[in-house]
Amino acid sequence: MIPGGCPFSRRRFLQAAGGAAGALAASALLPPVLRAAAGKTVDVAISSAATPGDRARGAVALLGGMKSFVARGDVVVLKPNIGWDRTPELAATTDPEFVVAVAEMCLAAGAGSVRIFDRTCNDARRCYVSSGIKDAVEQFARKNRVEDALRIYHVEDRKFVRTSIPNALSINEWDLYRDALEADKIVNLPIAKHHSLAGITLGLKNMMGIMGGNRGQIHYRLPECLVDVHRRVPVALTVIDAGRVLLRNGPSGGNLADVKPFGKAFASRDVVAADGVAAERIFRLSPRDVDHIGRAMDSGLGISSGAQIRLVEG
Amino acid sequence: MKTTRILRRLSQWTVFAVFAFLFLNTEYKDNDVLPYAVNLFLRLDPLMAGAATLAGRALIGLVWPALVVALLTVALGRFFCGWFCPLGAVIDAADATVFRNTRRKGAIPATWRRYKFLVLFFLAASSLFTLQWVFLFDPISILIRTFTVSVFPALNLVLHRIFDGLYRAPGPVPLISEPVYGFLRSHFLAFEQPVFRTSAVMGLLFLGILAMERYQRRFWCRNLCPLGGLLALLGRFGLFRRRITEAGCTRCGLCESGCRMGAIEGDVAVTDPGECIECMDCQAICPEEVIHFSGREGRRPAAVDLTRRGVLASAALGAVTVPFFRVEAHGKARDPLLVRPPGALPEGEFLARCTRCGECMRVCIANGLQPTWFEAGIEGMWSPILVPRIGYCEFNCTLCGQVCPTGAIRRLRLPEKRKTKLGLAYVDRSRCLPWKGQSDCIVCEEHCPTASKAIVFKEERTQTAGGEWRMFKKPYIDEDLCVGCGICETKCPLTDRAAVLVTSRGETRSTGVLAR
Repeated sequence: MIPGGCPFSRRRFLQAAGGAAGALAASALLPPVLRAAAGKTVDVAISSAATPGDRARGAVALLGGMKSFVARGDVVVLKPNIGWDRTPELAATTDPEFVVAVAEMCLAAGAGSVRIFDRTCNDARRCYVSSGIKDAVEQFARKNRVEDALRIYHVEDRKFVRTSIPNALSINEWDLYRDALEADKIVNLPIAKHHSLAGITLGLKNMMGIMGGNRGQIHYRLPECLVDVHRRVPVALTVIDAGRVLLRNGPSGGNLADVKPFGKAFASRDVVAADGVAAERIFRLSPRDVDHIGRAMDSGLGISSGAQIRLVEG
Repeated sequence: MKTTRILRRLSQWTVFAVFAFLFLNTEYKDNDVLPYAVNLFLRLDPLMAGAATLAGRALIGLVWPALVVALLTVALGRFFCGWFCPLGAVIDAADATVFRNTRRKGAIPATWRRYKFLVLFFLAASSLFTLQWVFLFDPISILIRTFTVSVFPALNLVLHRIFDGLYRAPGPVPLISEPVYGFLRSHFLAFEQPVFRTSAVMGLLFLGILAMERYQRRFWCRNLCPLGGLLALLGRFGLFRRRITEAGCTRCGLCESGCRMGAIEGDVAVTDPGECIECMDCQAICPEEVIHFSGREGRRPAAVDLTRRGVLASAALGAVTVPFFRVEAHGKARDPLLVRPPGALPEGEFLARCTRCGECMRVCIANGLQPTWFEAGIEGMWSPILVPRIGYCEFNCTLCGQVCPTGAIRRLRLPEKRKTKLGLAYVDRSRCLPWKGQSDCIVCEEHCPTASKAIVFKEERTQTAGGEWRMFKKPYIDEDLCVGCGICETKCPLTDRAAVLVTSRGETRSTGVLAR
C-alpha cells in the first residue's frame, strides 16, 4: 500500500479506524425514514477536538472516514491555503498540522499519491516556508518514508492549461492547473477568514489557488467565477480549518489582534454546504448573506437550501 | 615546466566555479539570511573599493578584502588578472574556443595600452570629486551585472523553452527530460523567469568585450581595464617576476609572440612588469626552458608607457566633468519614480557607493529592483530602482541589504525594514475601478502587507457611467502606515498602468525621518 512500510502509529490507526467504524455504524443504525430523506441531504461534520490534527481527523471520521472519499490508488490533490507570507499564528494560511493530518488520512485510505500546492499571492517560496506547511509535510514524509507518495511543490507556469468551462456564468475559459484537472480527487483545505471583498473566504474561494493568469480581474465578478471554477475540478471533500480565525483585515491579515481562537473544523463532501455551515457558525452570517455562497446555492453546484444540511457534531 | 601553467589554469577554473556558485546562490533559498558572503568578488576589488571610499568620503569596512588583494599585488605583481579575475577567465575561454584559429592581422598599436591608465586617472579624479563612474569599466561589476541582467536570464529562458518543448513532446521524451529538468530547476534555473530593463544593451556590451578578442588577445585587459591599470601600477615592483637565463636563450621569439598581454617586446629578456599577468605561458612554451618566475632580483622594470601630460590631462578631465553632472536639473527636481531599495543611503552617498553590480537586482525576490536608465540622471545610470509594475518589495525580505558590497544599501534587520518607507502609494481615482463607479475590486487592499493595513476601503455612493447611484468599496491610502513596497501597484488588475502607484515621496532615507 504505502511504499516503505506502514507510516502510522498503532494508536493513530486505531483512532482513525475506530472513528470510521463508529460513523459507519451510526449511519447504519439510522431509521430508514431519515436515510430516505438523505437522498437530498448532505452531511456537514463539525469537530471541536483539541488540536488541529485531531480536528481534521475527527471531522473526516464523522463523515465516515477518508475511505468514503479516497479510493485505493487515487491521485489526490490537497489544496490548502498557502497564499501569504504569514506565520501560522496569523491565521492567513491553513494550519500545517491540519494539512499533514489530512495527507496522512489520504495515504492510510490507500491514495497512490498525495500532491500539495497553491498558487500564492506573495513570493511562493516565502509562503511555503513561512506558513510552516512545506516543512511540516516534508518532515512527515521523511519520517514515514513516503517522500514519493506525498509531495509538496511549487506551481509552474507551463502546467496551466487553458480550460473551457461549459455553461459558465462568467468565465468561458481560464488557465487551470493541470495537476488539479488530472487528479482523481481534490481535497480542499481552506482556512476560514474574513475577506475584504468576498466578505469571508472558505472552501469556494480557496479553489482560486488552482487558477493561473491575472486573478485580480475575476474580482469584478467573483461569485460567478468561483462557481465556474468549481464546475471543472473534482473536489471530493472540503475540510475547513477554523482553529484560529482571522476576523478582520483578511485575507492577508498580519495582526495578531485580528485573530481569534475558534477551535473547530468543518467537513463535507459538498463545498457549498461546508461553507454555509461555517459561515453561520463562525461569522454568524446566513449563507445567503455571502454573495458567492448564495450564488453557488442558486447555481446547482451543491445544496440549494440550508434545509438540506444535516449536522454531525463531535 | 608546464606545471605552473596547469596550476594557473586550475586557479582560473576554480575561481570561476566559485564565482558561479556564489552567483547562483545570490538567491532566496528558503532562508531569510544568506549563508555565504555571495558578494565576495566585489569586496575583493581594489578599484571599486577605492572609488567608493573616495567618492563616498567614508571608510567602508565591508571592502577590507580589497586591501588584501592590493597588498598581495604589491608583493607578487599583477597575478590577479591571470590567475583570479573571472572576467579574464571568460575572455580566455572565448579565446580558447571561438577565437582558437583566428589569425589576427593589423595589430592594435602597443601604445593603446596606456588608455587603461588614462581611464584609471580619469575615474580616480572624478571619484575624488564625488562622481563615481568606475562601475562603467570595473570588470567585476561588469561581469556580475551582465550575468544578472542578461546572461543568466537569457540562459534560463532558453533552457525553459527547450524543456517546455520536451515536456509537451509525445512518447517517452518527457520521462527522460523531466528528471533532468527537475535537477536543473532545483540547482540552476531561476525560480521564476527574471526580466530586466537594459538587458539587451548589457548583453551586447559584454559580447563587444569578447568580440575584441578577434583583434587582439586580452584586448580589454591590455587596453581598457582600469582595474588592470591599477594593479599594473601597484604590482610594477613586485618581487615575483619573469626572468630569463640569458646564456641558454636562442632568441627564437616564441615567448614574445605567445604572450597574451604583449608584455614582452623587443628584447625577449625584458618584461614589462605592469603588463605581465604571470600566466606562465612563456615558461611553458620555451623550448630551451630558460624562462622561470622567481622572487630573485632581476632587471629593473622599464618605465610605464605614460606621459606626464597624459596623466594630468585625463585626471583634469575627470575633475572638470564633475560639475557638469552636478548642475543637471534632476538634482533639483527628482524623478518621482526614483524609488530606491529599502535601506538605501541618501541619494548622493548612495550613488557614490553603488557599484552597479546588480547583486541587489539578482537577489530581489520579486524581480522588482531594476537598473535605471535616466531616472537618476546619467550619473545614476544602472543603479537599482524599484519598478512596481515589474515586481514589488517583499515585506518580510531583507536580502538586498545583505548582498550590497559597499553598504550603499544598508543591511536592515527585519523590524527596521518593515518600517522603512521606500515611498508612498497614491490612488489614481480617474482609473481606479471602484472610484470611477465601474466595479468593486480592492485587490490592492487585500495584498497590502502592513500589520495595520495602509490601504483601507470605505463604502461610498458613487454614480456609475450609466447614471445609477451605487455603493462601492473605494481604496484610501493611510500615509502613516504605507511603506511604499509597491505590491498594490504590482497586483492592481488593470493591465497597463496601475490605478495605485508608488512614488518616492515620503521615503525614509532622505532625512532619516518621514519627509513629505
